[in-house]
Amino acid sequence: MNAAAHPDELLPWYANRSLGEAEHAAVEAHLRGCERCRAEVEFLAALREQVQRAPAVRMDEVGLQRLLRQVRREQARPRRRLALAAAAAVVIVVQAALIGWLATREPVFEPLGGPAPAGVVLQLRFEPSATEANIRALLEAQHAVVIDGPSALGIYRVRLQGLRADDAGAVSKALADFRAARGIVAEAERQ
Amino acid sequence: MSAHAASDEAMLIAGIARGREQDLAEFYRRYQGRVYAFLLRRMGDAADAAETANEVMLEVWRSAARFEGRSRPLTWVLGIAQHKALDRARRAASRPQRAETDPDTLADDSLGAVDLIARAQDAERLRHCIEGLPEAQRAVVHLAFYEDLGYGEIAAILECPEGTVKTRMFHARRGLKRCLGGTGEDEASA
Repeated sequence: MNAAAHPDELLPWYANRSLGEAEHAAVEAHLRGCERCRAEVEFLAALREQVQRAPAVRMDEVGLQRLLRQVRREQARPRRRLALAAAAAVVIVVQAALIGWLATREPVFEPLGGPAPAGVVLQLRFEPSATEANIRALLEAQHAVVIDGPSALGIYRVRLQGLRADDAGAVSKALADFRAARGIVAEAERQ
Repeated sequence: MSAHAASDEAMLIAGIARGREQDLAEFYRRYQGRVYAFLLRRMGDAADAAETANEVMLEVWRSAARFEGRSRPLTWVLGIAQHKALDRARRAASRPQRAETDPDTLADDSLGAVDLIARAQDAERLRHCIEGLPEAQRAVVHLAFYEDLGYGEIAAILECPEGTVKTRMFHARRGLKRCLGGTGEDEASA
């Protein structure tokens, strides 16, 4: 270090004692002959002392409990994904039987990738325990035809035959009926 | 911190990476206060600081597996805090910000060294002056004088060159001196 130059930019880190050995020694050597830098170090030391006098932050036990609840929710997510994957696997088995049935009933199954379906379309996810016979009976009772699915998460799209999209009451009732089919339908939403 | 303590804490982070809640709770007990203090100094708002400190600890849980032990746990967690504070600042960018002091616009009353030291010892006055500094300078002052970190570690936390840390500290000192040397009426918003 140039003895004539003030090591001004290092002084804060001299004051907090974090300089490496070489820089610390160089600053100390400079300070022995520089009143101005000694006064600056004194100012910085007073500054440090006051900053460190800030009231200590108490451990936030409520915050910790909140954090642990969030963490548990996050931990549950992968398991839920696994559960969904398992459900999807079961649904695929059910679907094989379902498609066999659909193939015999024109025009209940419409090919994927066609134009956007008209009318009222619902998204359904079936319970893993639902049987093909149960699903078929439910769809027939609701005059619903499968138009797409299952997705990777086991979701089917079905169209409600004979229902107008603007008939909100009838659509709500159909949704409620699907949701009430416990043991068969896990989720039902309007698309 | 001793190498032994740093190693203990690295093991704590490894435990968090394995999903051990008790290790996260211990990490929280050790660091939440320091993370909050840093964020409060940086952000200036207790509610924002507390909320962001929670986000930091959640991120610790999520990213513990990526901790490579190349830095101290304190440096690592304050680096996360820095990121979270920047994210929050970006989200709030459209909201009106509190005016910050530009040290260059402050009157220099040219107090002598003894008077400056005396005023630096006036905790309330000093707090007021620190709050008037730009956010980036407040962060450097906090990390240097509350955490006693070296300029290299501060640069790692703030992800900026060491020269920038020194420059910010230089401007912070000048701003503080001008504020401390003022009349005390309302230097920070001058």
